[in-house]
Amino acid sequence: MSTGTMSRPGRGAVRRSDGFGQLLHSEWIKFRTVRGWVIGMIVAAILTILLGVFAAGGGGISCQQPGRPPQTGKACLPYVPHGPGGEVVTDSFNFARQPLTGNGTITARLIALTGKHVDLSSPGGTEAGSGPGLVPGLAPWSKAGLVIKQSLHQGSAYAAMTVTGGHGVRMQWNYTGDTAGLPGRVTGTSPRWLRLTRAGDVITGYDSADGSHWTKVGTVHLAGLPATVQVGLFATSPNYSVTSQSFGGSSERGGPSEATGVFDHVRLSGAAASGRWSETAIGSGGPAALGPVSRATGFSQAHGIYTLTGSGDIAPVVPGPGSMLPTATVEQSLSGAFLGLIAIVVVATMFFTAEYRRGLIRTTFAATPHRGQVLAAKAVVGGAVAFVTGLVASVIAIAIGVPLETSQGQVVLPVSALTEARVVIGTAALLAVAAVLAVALGGALRRSAAAVTLAIVTVVLPFLLTALKLFPPAIGSWLLRVTPAAGLAIQQSIPRYPQVATTNSPAGGYYPLPPFAGFAVLCCWAAAALALAYFLMRRRDV
Amino acid sequence: MKVALHAEWTKLRTVPGPAWLLLAIVALTAGVSAAAVGATSCPPGLRCPVDPAKLSLTGVQFGQAVVAVLAVLMICSEFSNGMIRVTFAAMPARPLVLAAKASILAGLVLAAGIIAVAGSVLAGHLILPAHGFTAARGFHAVWVTYGPSMRAAAGSVLYLGLIALLSLGVAAMVRDSAVAIGAVLAVLYLFPIILAFVTNPAWQHRLERWTPTIAGLTIQATTGLRSLAISPWDGLGVLGIWAGAALLGGALTLRLRDA
Amino acid sequence: MQATAIEVNGLRKRFGPAVALDGMTFTVQPGQVTGFVGPNGAGKSTTMRVILGLDAPDAGVALVGGQPYASIRRPMCRIGSLLDAGALQPSRSARNHLLWLAHSQGLGADRVDEVIQQAGLDAVARRRAGGYSLGMRQRLGIAAAMLGNPAAIMLDEPFNGMDPEGIVWMRGFLRALAREGRAVLVSSHLMSELQDTADHLIVVGRGKVIADTTVASLLAAASGDRVRLRTVARSQAAAVLAAAGATVAASGQDELTISGLPAERVVALLAGGAVPFAEVSAHRATLEQAYLDLTSEAVEFRPAGPVSGPGSATGPAREVAR
Repeated sequence: MSTGTMSRPGRGAVRRSDGFGQLLHSEWIKFRTVRGWVIGMIVAAILTILLGVFAAGGGGISCQQPGRPPQTGKACLPYVPHGPGGEVVTDSFNFARQPLTGNGTITARLIALTGKHVDLSSPGGTEAGSGPGLVPGLAPWSKAGLVIKQSLHQGSAYAAMTVTGGHGVRMQWNYTGDTAGLPGRVTGTSPRWLRLTRAGDVITGYDSADGSHWTKVGTVHLAGLPATVQVGLFATSPNYSVTSQSFGGSSERGGPSEATGVFDHVRLSGAAASGRWSETAIGSGGPAALGPVSRATGFSQAHGIYTLTGSGDIAPVVPGPGSMLPTATVEQSLSGAFLGLIAIVVVATMFFTAEYRRGLIRTTFAATPHRGQVLAAKAVVGGAVAFVTGLVASVIAIAIGVPLETSQGQVVLPVSALTEARVVIGTAALLAVAAVLAVALGGALRRSAAAVTLAIVTVVLPFLLTALKLFPPAIGSWLLRVTPAAGLAIQQSIPRYPQVATTNSPAGGYYPLPPFAGFAVLCCWAAAALALAYFLMRRRDV
Repeated sequence: MKVALHAEWTKLRTVPGPAWLLLAIVALTAGVSAAAVGATSCPPGLRCPVDPAKLSLTGVQFGQAVVAVLAVLMICSEFSNGMIRVTFAAMPARPLVLAAKASILAGLVLAAGIIAVAGSVLAGHLILPAHGFTAARGFHAVWVTYGPSMRAAAGSVLYLGLIALLSLGVAAMVRDSAVAIGAVLAVLYLFPIILAFVTNPAWQHRLERWTPTIAGLTIQATTGLRSLAISPWDGLGVLGIWAGAALLGGALTLRLRDA
Repeated sequence: MQATAIEVNGLRKRFGPAVALDGMTFTVQPGQVTGFVGPNGAGKSTTMRVILGLDAPDAGVALVGGQPYASIRRPMCRIGSLLDAGALQPSRSARNHLLWLAHSQGLGADRVDEVIQQAGLDAVARRRAGGYSLGMRQRLGIAAAMLGNPAAIMLDEPFNGMDPEGIVWMRGFLRALAREGRAVLVSSHLMSELQDTADHLIVVGRGKVIADTTVASLLAAASGDRVRLRTVARSQAAAVLAAAGATVAASGQDELTISGLPAERVVALLAGGAVPFAEVSAHRATLEQAYLDLTSEAVEFRPAGPVSGPGSATGPAREVAR
């Protein structure tokens, strides 16, 4: 190298873009020119996909009907009804009905709601079909009441006024709708009067304690209701289950139950009311092997007293062990994100700590004295790379995993395109924010091991301890609210329906916080880590 | 070997980091265990399918993360600052260096583990009976008087030691502390997560039998022993196989790769 | 380019009980090479880090072209620096290292290729930096410092670990930069490295400036008015000269060092006393000697004003036996 060949001062420096953009570009070059980090991100994507597909593909079902060869997968599934909203629903109940054409009103007084359920106090109560004795008792969501239903097809539109085992009077419609009416249980001295009125495709529900003072509970619009609908009394009762406080093992115990409603003062007004009630067990006849469902039904009428017994549920199907179907959720194919998260956290941390380790941070800060900008640029680049990695991985994992689950006979609970987009993009965003958290921790702590451990443990361990029930549910739920692990809620695709009894396991797909609230908690942690890193980096000599 | 042990011990005790990490192992393990038993109660009339010993040792789940950090730093810090060349120049028998590190590490972690587990057991012993987990209701004591509880406690100490060795082996193979800690935490926590998601019973059984943490932690089980996928000591043995394989891999890597 | 000076004023910094900087004050002028010398731990690197805004001083200011470093918009276009040639991500190539630096200053890839060529790194620019020799790393560091074509440049111990060829190159390079009108600050703990390079010297010890002077005046002051005499009749010569009021010290087997008398008087006195002598020459201190004198005493040095070298004409400068 000869001397004096450097260009003379003030000449030759070609200037391009200015400001934060150039810094971003600079950090992006730093990232992409270290092969290990690029490989790390690719590995993160591949691991996310592989593990997601493995988890999705691990749930095949098999069945055998007497006298037939054993079957696996889809062939084992019963008819899976979908509700008017597109969701998978349970629609099985005992129906004392008659057709109603045009407008009309049905009124009845429920004078008793009783039931039986599996005896969980004896061992072996979970083994359905082996004939455990039923003991008297109601499940909280045992139901009996009035219903107006589009047709006798499972999944058709409906509106119902019902008395429940433990949640008072409710007006429910189209599986997901639920409005509370009069509270309290039905006893001999405190019956419940129920009324449903149809006007076109608008149905209004009323309740009353005495039959003279009526309160409107709700008005619903059932789009496309045909002229002739089915109207009548119904009774049904979901699986009775007890979730006990327990750890390190399954605490789910449940079994079939049945409910019996006793009605009088049944009055139907309207055109084409035939006056004759016929009993139809909606949704019976599916392969009972799939769920411990009692098929007890019964209907009798004498002297104006109608007694109806049914078992089943009219509700959306939710994930979790209580479900009567082998359900899977969209986000189950994304469970590999945990592994991807670990790889991404490692790379994102090194993106910062490697500079401290090599002393390169001095070069960086000499080039850009505004350390806050360096931190911001690193966070943006790390987050963006993680986001793209996560998005590609999520899309592929869902594209492979969901059809795989379906082909194996699992019922992948359908969600709206918007929700699916939220789950997929949310998973990518989750990884991105975790990467930002890792970058910030790397900048604050300067040590890879500490930063990586903190980022991984705070995101993964609360989930793990709650999912494996290593912690009491109260603590687990609290951890999933306040730790960075709250962000995992963004993956929850099926909302929690208050009218469906289920477990709250995050592995089952439930988080204590709503998706965006949980994600906001994670964002707050990342912001706090950034603030800490900024504070320390400003104060520290390098 | 004696010289190597002495050298590694001097290296470890002359920096403040390891002492703090050992303290963190004790504090985190005993603290989380105490919090877990403190937050659990069995109201009268309810059936509580709780394993009191396992509950009292919950903190091991957290403590093992710190154990992993200690183990990883023990070797990766030397690789990151180049001191490993000095070490190997002083003691050219590299597997011997690893063996010395493993011995010192195992000794320290076992010592810290004894204190941590003793604290956890004490918390269980003092708190659980007051929270409804009494012998009258069929719950075993978490104390020296009940053999399986002691097996769970002693096994948890060994578990922490084996996790340390597993982490050290992985770290010797990987060398970079960030990658090593990521890999070790993945091994520790990922299999249980997969177990939570996988619904296929065959795979569940495989995971419970053969993965280091799930199989290893069966040592904590004192109830429902018949339904376990693997017996407690066999489970700990599985973890031992993992740890041995990792150390072997680490020794081979140290020998074959340039420092 | 406007002339850019580096000004350091009253810097103080402690690291715990250790005082790193204790009122460090100096100015680096454009157009010359300023040597920044002092023993290890004298505060040279800390001062440079403070100049670059990497370390915050407890008191005092450091300005580059009249501005604190942190407030300069494209700092590497004002002052280039090389603190640690080893501060590289080993898996990143030289070109990519320079590329991110260039982008951080709003410079394009063409400028990167320019400095790579000028630093003679063409052949290795796309190889991973982890495999570079120390000399190659130094060149890469110089290329990075020159990236923004700065009016000031600051190098911390650039001669460390260089082979002789590299040292020759580095000297020429620094002189060329100064000729172009840049301010050049070069630190070293060995004065000999700067002997033929620096125009100006800032000698530091224990966190403050001991001497801030030109090389010429430092040498002159260190040389003093001593005369070196080679003679076989040492005691005889010593007696004659001591009688004339000179201070005489034996500095070798047949050598005396005389202070207090100019060379002409010494020759006249010896001739008058019929003392045989082989050579009389004005003593000329090396920079190294001057530096050692300074730093061992660690007292403030006052330039002795313009020094004429009366004895310099009488004989060639020779190395003094130490």
